[in-house]
Amino acid sequence: MSGSLLEVESLTKRFGATVAVNEITFRVEPGEIFGFLGPNGAGKTTTIRILTGLLRPTAGRAVLGGFDIVKRPEAAKRMFGYVPDEPNLYGKLTPVEFLNFIGDVYGMDPKRKRARIGELLDLFELTSAAGELLEGFSHGMKQKVALCAALLHEPRIYFLDEPTVGLDPKSARLLKDILRAVTRAGGAVMMSTHIMEIAQGLCDRVAIVDHGRIAAIGTVDELRALRGDATLEDVFLNITGGEPGEAASGDRLRSIVAGSR
Amino acid sequence: MRRRSAASQTWLLVVRLLQIRIFAARREWSNSTVHAAAMIAGGVLFSLIFMGTYVGTRALDAAGASGLLATVPAWAFLVYLLTDIVIAFGQALGDLYASTDMPLLLALPVRIPALVSAKFVLGVVQNELYILAFVLPFVLGYLAALGAPWIAYPAMIVGITVFPAILYAALVVVTILALRVIPARLAKEGLWLVGAVVPTVFWIAMFYRVSHITGDVATMSLPPPPSWLPSTWLGWGLSAFGGVGTGGSAAGLGWTAMLLFETFAICPPALWLVSRSFARGWSDSFAGGIRRVAEPLAGVGPRHSRIVALVTKDLTTFLRTPQLWFNHIGALMFVVYLLIGHAVQTPIFPLTVQLAMVQIGFVAVLGAVTPGMTSLSLEHAAIWVLKSSPLRAHEVLVAKVLVPFGQTATIAAIGGGLLSAGYGFNLPQSFAVVGFGVIMAACSISLGVAFDTSHPSFTWENPNSINRGPRMVIPFLNGLGMLVVCGAALWLTRLTLHGTTGALVGLAASLVLTSIAVWETLGRASRNLSALEV
Repeated sequence: MSGSLLEVESLTKRFGATVAVNEITFRVEPGEIFGFLGPNGAGKTTTIRILTGLLRPTAGRAVLGGFDIVKRPEAAKRMFGYVPDEPNLYGKLTPVEFLNFIGDVYGMDPKRKRARIGELLDLFELTSAAGELLEGFSHGMKQKVALCAALLHEPRIYFLDEPTVGLDPKSARLLKDILRAVTRAGGAVMMSTHIMEIAQGLCDRVAIVDHGRIAAIGTVDELRALRGDATLEDVFLNITGGEPGEAASGDRLRSIVAGSR
Repeated sequence: MRRRSAASQTWLLVVRLLQIRIFAARREWSNSTVHAAAMIAGGVLFSLIFMGTYVGTRALDAAGASGLLATVPAWAFLVYLLTDIVIAFGQALGDLYASTDMPLLLALPVRIPALVSAKFVLGVVQNELYILAFVLPFVLGYLAALGAPWIAYPAMIVGITVFPAILYAALVVVTILALRVIPARLAKEGLWLVGAVVPTVFWIAMFYRVSHITGDVATMSLPPPPSWLPSTWLGWGLSAFGGVGTGGSAAGLGWTAMLLFETFAICPPALWLVSRSFARGWSDSFAGGIRRVAEPLAGVGPRHSRIVALVTKDLTTFLRTPQLWFNHIGALMFVVYLLIGHAVQTPIFPLTVQLAMVQIGFVAVLGAVTPGMTSLSLEHAAIWVLKSSPLRAHEVLVAKVLVPFGQTATIAAIGGGLLSAGYGFNLPQSFAVVGFGVIMAACSISLGVAFDTSHPSFTWENPNSINRGPRMVIPFLNGLGMLVVCGAALWLTRLTLHGTTGALVGLAASLVLTSIAVWETLGRASRNLSALEV
C-alpha cells in the first residue's frame, strides 16, 4: 500500500448522458494541501461528493486512508471531515447539540468530546451563540459550525468545498492557519476554491478541472512555468478558456452598463 | 422602461409565481410512472370520498334521517374550517415571512401591495387544492344523492371556491398583526400553537354538545354550529339545495350570495391592512440579538450509541417543530369525535370490539401520515451530514422508524385506551383495541418510511409542505389498504369465533399480516437508504 492519504483512480460520474466527472486520477499525500480549481460546473463539487460518499461513482475508485469509499464506506468516512459548499445544518439544534451529535456519531470519548467542543467554539468565537438554534445563524456562522464539526473528531483528511465563502477575513485567516497546522501534523486537505489568491498562497499542489477532466496538475510554480511565469489566474483562464475575450469587449460592456449612468 | 399598474404587477406576479410552483411540483417527481400512479391515487381518493358521501347520504335518506342530513353539511364544513386553521397560520407565515423567494421579490421594482396580493392569491390557490381533493367530492356526492337541481352545482362550486379566501384573509391579518407585537421567531412557534389550541378547544366544545343528543336515526339531528361562521352558511346552503334544509334552492342561492359578499367585503381591506404593515413587519422579523448562555456546554451529554444519537436529534427536532404535532392533534381529534359521536354512530353501526379496533386502526393510519412519510425528508438540506458520516443504512433506518413509530404508537395507544374506556370494554377487549392501534401504527409508519426513502424531498420551505399533493395520498392509501386487509381478517374471525376470543384471534392474524408488510417494506427502505445519492 502506498503512503497516500487519498488515491483517486479513473473516477467517473455520469448523470444520464451528462459526464460530470470523467476519469479523474490524482493522489493527495500526507502533509499536503491539494487545491481543486475549475470554472462553475467543471465537476469539482461532484468529485468531492463522490469522495465523501454522497454520490456513488459510475466507474473508478477512491481510497481514503486505505479504505475504498464504496466497499468500506464506514471505515473510509471515519478518516475525513467535510465542509460542503452550502453549510446546511439542523436548524432546530443548537451548535452544541449539533456538535454533540457529531461526536456521538464518530463514537468520541465524552470527556474528549466536551473538551473539543469547548475549544472549537472558543476558537471560532461561537461560545456566546452556543445556546441559539442554528436556524437563526448567518451563512458565515453556519460555515464556522460546519468547520467545527469537521475538525471535532480530529480526522486525517479534510474535504472543504469553497470553505472561505461567507467567512469574515479574521475567520478565513484562522481557517488557513488551521489547515497549515493540519498538514504540519501529517494530515491532508483537499479543497475547492474559486479564489486564485487562496490557491496560490495556501495550496502545495493544484489540479485545474474543466468539463469533468483534470486539465492540469502540479505545484503552483510548475503550473505557472507552463505559461512562462504567468500568474495562477492567467494559467487558469488560459487552460479553461475563460478569457473574457470578445464576449466582454469594451463596446459590449459599455452597452450593458449604459443604464447605470 | 414601461411602468405597470399595481393590478398589472399583481397579475404578472401571480402568473409567474404560479408557473414556478407548477414547474417545481412537476420536477419533484423525476419518475413519471410514480407521478402518474400518484395522480391515479389522488383520483381514487376523490372517488372514495364521492362514493362514500353518495352511499351514506342515500342510506340516511332511505332511513328518513332528514334531521341528520340537514345538519351534517355544516359540521363537515366546520371540520374543514378547523383543519384549515391549523394549517393556514403556518402557511400564511411561510408565504410572507419565511418564504425563501421574498428577499429576491422585495428587491424587484414591484409595489408592496402587488407583492402581498400575489402571495395572498397563491396562498388561496394552494388551499383550493384541498378543496378540490376533499370538499368537492363531498359536495358532489351529497347533491347527487339527494337529486339536487342543476343550479346547485355551479352555486356550490362558487361557494366552496371563495370559502378559503375568506378564511385565509382573516388568518393572514391575524398573522401580520401578531408580528407587529411579537418577534417573528416567537410568532412562528406561537402562531402554530394558537393554530392548534384554538381549533382543538373549539372542536371539543362542539362535540360535547353532540354527545348530548338523543333519539333514533329518523329523529336525530346535530346541534347547529355557530351561525356566524362562513362554514355554517356553506352547510346551510348545501342542505337547502339538497331539499333537506330550510328554504330550498332560493335559500341555497342566498347563502352563496352571502359568501360572495363576505369575500369581497373581507379580502380587499385585509390585503390593504397587510400591505401597509408588511414592510415594517419584514424588517422587524430580522430583529433580535443572540442570547447568551450561562453554561455553553450544557448540551454536551455522555456518549450515546449512533442510533440513540440519531433518535435524540430527531426527537429534539420534533419537539421544537410544532408544525409536526398537528398530525397527532388531528388524530386525537378524531378519537374525540369517535368517543363523543358514539351516540350518533351506534344506532347506525352497532358497536363491536372489532369495529372499535378498525376505528383505532384508522386513527393510527391517519396519525402515521406525516411522521412516516417525512421521516427522512425532515433531514432537509442537512442530509449530507448523515451521508458523509460513518453511519450504516440500518442504523439510520432504525432511528427513522423508531421516532415516528414512537409518536404514532403513543397516539394510537392513548386513543385506544380512551376509546375502550368510553365504550366500556373489559381488559382483554381493551388490550385488543390498543394492540391493534399499535400494530397499525407500526405498519403505516413502515409504509410511510419506505415511500419517503424512495421519494425523499429535501427542498421544502416548511415541514408541512413535504406532504402536500400526491405525496400525501400514496402512503395514506397504502395504510388504508392494510387496514382493509386486517379489517377483513377481523371480520372473518368475528364470524367464526365469537366474543373477545374472536377479537384476540383477529388481533393475532393482523399481527401476522402486518409483520409481513413491515418486513418487506423495511427491507426495501434499507436498500433505498443505501442507494440514496444527495
